[in-house]
Amino acid sequence: MSETAVLDDNAREEDELVVDHSGDSGEHHDDGHHSSLGISNTKLAMWLFLGSECLLFGALISTYLLSKANFMTQVLAGNPKVLATLTKLKEVAPEKYEEILEEGSVEPLFDILFTSASSFILLMSSLTMVLSHKAVSEADYRASRIWLGATALLGSIFIAGQVYEFTVFYNEGIYFNKNLFGSAFYTLTGFHGVHVTVGIIMLASLLIMSMRGKLNQDRAETVEIVGLYWHFVDIVWVLIFTIVYLIP
Amino acid sequence: MSDSATHDAHAHPQEKQYWAIFVVLFVLTAVEVAWSYLGFEGVSLVVPLLVMMFVKFILVAGGFMHLYYDAKLLNGKLFSWTFAAGLILTLLVFLAVFAAFEFPS
Amino acid sequence: MTVIESAVARISAEDTSKPEFLGVFARPKATQTGIKNWLSTVDHKKIGIMYGAASLFFFVIGGVAALLIRIQLAAPDGKLLSGSTYSTVFTMHGTVMVFLVVMPMGAAFANYLLPLQIGARDVAFPRINAFSFWVFLSGGIMLNTSWFLGGGPDGGWFNYAPNNGIIFSPSTGIDFWNASLLIVGLGSLTGAVNLITTVLNMRAPGMSLMRMPVFVWMTLVTQFLLLFAIPILTVAQILLLMDRTFDAHFFNPEQGADPLMWQHLFWIFGHPEVYLMILPAFGIVSEVIPAFARKPIFGYPFMVFSGIAIGFMGWGVWAHHMFASGIGPLSVTAFSVATMFIAVPTGVKVLNWIATLWGGKLILNTAMLFSIGLVTQFTIGGLSGVSHALAPADSQQTDTYYIVAHFHYVLFGGALFGFIAGLYFWWPKAFGYKMSETLGKWNFWLMVLGFNVTFGPMHILGLQGMPRRMQSYSEVQGFAFWNAIASLGSFILAFSVLLLLINMFRSHSQWKNAGKPDVGADPWDGRTIEWSIQSPAPEHNFDVTPTVDSLDDFWYKKYAQNEEGRLVQVATGEELAQPGNGEGVHLPAPSNWPIRLAFSLPVVGYALIYSLWFLIPGIFLVLVCLYGWALEPADDLDLDHGHNDDDHSLAQTVEENTASISGGVSDE
Repeated sequence: MSETAVLDDNAREEDELVVDHSGDSGEHHDDGHHSSLGISNTKLAMWLFLGSECLLFGALISTYLLSKANFMTQVLAGNPKVLATLTKLKEVAPEKYEEILEEGSVEPLFDILFTSASSFILLMSSLTMVLSHKAVSEADYRASRIWLGATALLGSIFIAGQVYEFTVFYNEGIYFNKNLFGSAFYTLTGFHGVHVTVGIIMLASLLIMSMRGKLNQDRAETVEIVGLYWHFVDIVWVLIFTIVYLIP
Repeated sequence: MSDSATHDAHAHPQEKQYWAIFVVLFVLTAVEVAWSYLGFEGVSLVVPLLVMMFVKFILVAGGFMHLYYDAKLLNGKLFSWTFAAGLILTLLVFLAVFAAFEFPS
Repeated sequence: MTVIESAVARISAEDTSKPEFLGVFARPKATQTGIKNWLSTVDHKKIGIMYGAASLFFFVIGGVAALLIRIQLAAPDGKLLSGSTYSTVFTMHGTVMVFLVVMPMGAAFANYLLPLQIGARDVAFPRINAFSFWVFLSGGIMLNTSWFLGGGPDGGWFNYAPNNGIIFSPSTGIDFWNASLLIVGLGSLTGAVNLITTVLNMRAPGMSLMRMPVFVWMTLVTQFLLLFAIPILTVAQILLLMDRTFDAHFFNPEQGADPLMWQHLFWIFGHPEVYLMILPAFGIVSEVIPAFARKPIFGYPFMVFSGIAIGFMGWGVWAHHMFASGIGPLSVTAFSVATMFIAVPTGVKVLNWIATLWGGKLILNTAMLFSIGLVTQFTIGGLSGVSHALAPADSQQTDTYYIVAHFHYVLFGGALFGFIAGLYFWWPKAFGYKMSETLGKWNFWLMVLGFNVTFGPMHILGLQGMPRRMQSYSEVQGFAFWNAIASLGSFILAFSVLLLLINMFRSHSQWKNAGKPDVGADPWDGRTIEWSIQSPAPEHNFDVTPTVDSLDDFWYKKYAQNEEGRLVQVATGEELAQPGNGEGVHLPAPSNWPIRLAFSLPVVGYALIYSLWFLIPGIFLVLVCLYGWALEPADDLDLDHGHNDDDHSLAQTVEENTASISGGVSDE
């Protein structure tokens, strides 16, 4: 934490708070709304949760990278037990198998163009997400529903793409329980996929709320907070896309 | 400090800006993919990719997640530090982990 | 204040207020009494008390395990426990003490005191707060059912790979460890988000960050450590779960995996973990010592910043647990230096406590004695800790009883002494009567004696080379004498803990027999604002939100400087205390969903251990509870002054969903 920021802020904050409460001592209803930072509790809590998620994905990405490196070391060293896990790949896609050994990386397994497309889709869903928040805060409920629906749809397309990618991998003999790379790859991308799915569920819930007329302007912040989660999931994919797919 | 005023729409960017951010994200991703196909190796491959990744990260967090705008609010600095602390910590800790695995002897 | 105005306006239009609520299910009534009241409470004080009671309960379980260990080791060739039972017992002792005693004890004080010390009515998210407690309890109970379901975990509390794999530990013990600690961790995470939000965002007017009591600061640092450390443990446990349940290969050396990855992940979590266990106790003694030295805390900013420094540097020292694992000379050097540095802020704290005591008019009651006990005994533990920072020395000490001695001096002599000081200090605030000083002093001196007789000799045993985790030793090794002494000490220690429990109940019945005399709002002539309300603290905390003008605000409202610059009393605590009139105060309605959600998570946990088919009802239950929670109205609709808090609560619920689902998913 930044100490200077903390100290700077105190001075301003005190004045604000004293003024804020001077005529307020009889009003006891404000505990949920009273806020020392000028930001609602829920928003702060969501950011804290996301800060915690940074560590979660940091640990997952790091273990993926270490596991992949260990896996490749064994492949290049010709460890028979590890090479045996790739026999199916050798049969189904011999050119990929050769390339892996040649380049000393798992890169040839990935279909970069396909993944780029799903990255675009997820990025686009972030745009529709902010537009939906904007629409709700401007009381344009019809537009907000369209954008919410679009976000959920784009998220679902992304998940569908991930399922397709997993299927391709599976058919090439990259199994979760066969080797280190499989375990690490499915765990990392699967964890992200679960996060996207949770996001889709929340978006769907918001959409239902909106259709029942319960998502009005006052609750714009709810959309913003779900949005924060959604964008974070998007950010994580930005990292995964570059670190896992593009950098060999 | 009425809190409904602190996060109303005026503090946040306009629709045009959102689209602009998206276009930049789109272009950056395209450049990233192209860069990975251009046959660069080692540092000249990895560093530009990481830089572009970082810019995308900042754009989404700052623009779409309003961090850039919320940090300008009263006490927004302290607020945004709560997330930044987690992020920076992640970077430092796992760089140290990689270093520990990189230099075993 | 527009929100409140509009809320009031909406409420005054009676019939329009109802459809405004999102709720489908009614909330339980606040007027419920007895056990139902406790099960559905969202009051941070009741939750704090339940945290304390539950952790004392687990303390007894962990303590019995410790006594079993000491009986086994009392003489050479102990026959009480078999090798595998012994492994289970020491693993459970460690796991229970860390996750189910020290951490929740810190949470108990944090829950009870944070809102009182910052002048808030409750925490930011009362229902999440209840959930944090119940999920800790359900996870803790689940872990302890492993005793009866095929044996507990046997890999040590750190559970090193590949020893934690299915090959070396085929029983379900480690699966229990994994699943239940994931559940407990979820509670810590939601608790951390909740308490940080509370401290940062719900302070009373004038309660700037640098006017917060040291305890609040230390708890804030603790919660940040939890917030950032728990996910790392979660990842490590998820990977282990994948390995054990779904045949992944993260820690399988046959497939080229590096088991050292577990050690890194575990200790990246584990070292912040040890600081988050000790910091709340540091906070407690920083409150007790000024109160009974009758002086302000010496060097308040140094206390605060050294706490932050410990919290920050705690992230850069994890590999000192791994000096003997072959991480290489560069890493060893770096982490060795970092570890020596972290002794500096800790030393600053010790010096500040001593400087606070220096020249003070000391009142040596039980709470103060326990605080001084912490300062002295933690210092011994801290010094033996510095000896671990020296990598060559540590290579000799690693995995010997010297390490056991060290961490018991910091965790028992440090953390638990601090917590017991806190119990004696805030007991009147929570329950309306003081615990007996006579019994308290017996408790203290016997505990100091028992503690040092138990753990002091372990330094010698360690330096003699007695390894940890061995279920027996033979006569010729020459460990018999000091082991016998240590075992003797452990029974003195157990007796002193018994005295503490007796004191709680006996003092209560004495107080009851005496006709429940009022202990008063301010029995200790306290310094901080929690003493400005009645004891026991009324359900609504503050009649009027206090306005804070300085550090130790309550003290400086009681004492002011006269013309000669001397501090004189201008008012007594009782005169200043709020009368405890909660009229017009609106409190959040109780809720049954936190406990329902919390106890549906172990269903998922058991499914992971026994049969994945049970995941279907498990996840279904979790989802039902999540939506039940989300669709619950923010309030008891029948209350005529129901304040419209529901957009707040809805957003809270959605956030909740995220936190729970994504955390819950990690259990799936």
